[in-house]
Amino acid sequence: MIPSDHFTRFYNEVFKFLEARSEADLQDYWLAISANQERHTLDLFRQQGLAGMEQYWLHIREEENCDLDIERGDEWLELRMKKCPSLSKVLDNDAEPMGRYCDHCAGWIGPIMDKLGYHLVYDVIDRKQPQCVMRVFTDAETAAEVEARAQLPMSWPGKCKR
Amino acid sequence: MSDRRPLRYEDEGNVHLDFHGATNTTIEFIVERFGVEALHAIFERVGKDVYADLRRHLLDGDADELVRHWHHYFGRENADFEITVEADGTIVLTVRRCPAYEHARQLAGAVSPHFCDQTTVTNNAMADGTPFSITTEITGEGSCRQIVRRRRR
Repeated sequence: MIPSDHFTRFYNEVFKFLEARSEADLQDYWLAISANQERHTLDLFRQQGLAGMEQYWLHIREEENCDLDIERGDEWLELRMKKCPSLSKVLDNDAEPMGRYCDHCAGWIGPIMDKLGYHLVYDVIDRKQPQCVMRVFTDAETAAEVEARAQLPMSWPGKCKR
Repeated sequence: MSDRRPLRYEDEGNVHLDFHGATNTTIEFIVERFGVEALHAIFERVGKDVYADLRRHLLDGDADELVRHWHHYFGRENADFEITVEADGTIVLTVRRCPAYEHARQLAGAVSPHFCDQTTVTNNAMADGTPFSITTEITGEGSCRQIVRRRRR
């Protein structure tokens, strides 16, 4: 058994393997993970909208031991990750970190938001620091304005141009 | 355990068992697209690179660090397991209920036939070139025996 605590280090090895093959393989893998994550998120997000997203990430904050602030308004949700356990473990690792490790988060979350008609803005800020800001908006124009100010905005498979 | 030196990786706090579902998805994706050999190549990197510290202990003739690792992580995930040491020094980890297999099955319904390769191949890679062999016997769905033996010279 690879312990669940060590999944992210296994994930990191998978990313390195796929990146060495092609960008398309890496993106297809994110889509496979996104489909896997739909079983935890899709109905909740569809039925409860931003409140359901807040509920999901409150659960993740607890189970994954995240240092994470979550705020929600009527038309937006903001996750401000102050210490990401996932990247922290990958950096505290006897194996080499994959340079674009952070990209996987938007890689699986973005397709779910697109499917449900929400607008994701994912600012990784710096791929070597376990901090990021994720925002979800109901309005596309607001999302585009916020994304224009992002330091390191992420893309994902199928992302629509705003 | 009397040895309180921290493990190289020694997680505390809550556990997120849903990662085992993502592992199952990953195994299915890699096998379908690249074949079993590619999956095994990834697990070999896990065994040799991610677990380089455990491997170093084995290379130095010390299997106790692996036992401590097993105690810590199977305990954290509430597995039904025991670890025994036989008279000749052979170490046997008996897993009667594997939390990884059980949780992946709960989430996905069906678990990949290659799910337990994560254990078999990672163990082999960790032990490769060391004074120990680690044999993984799958004894049922979600149960196994992992046996650490000193190799004969």
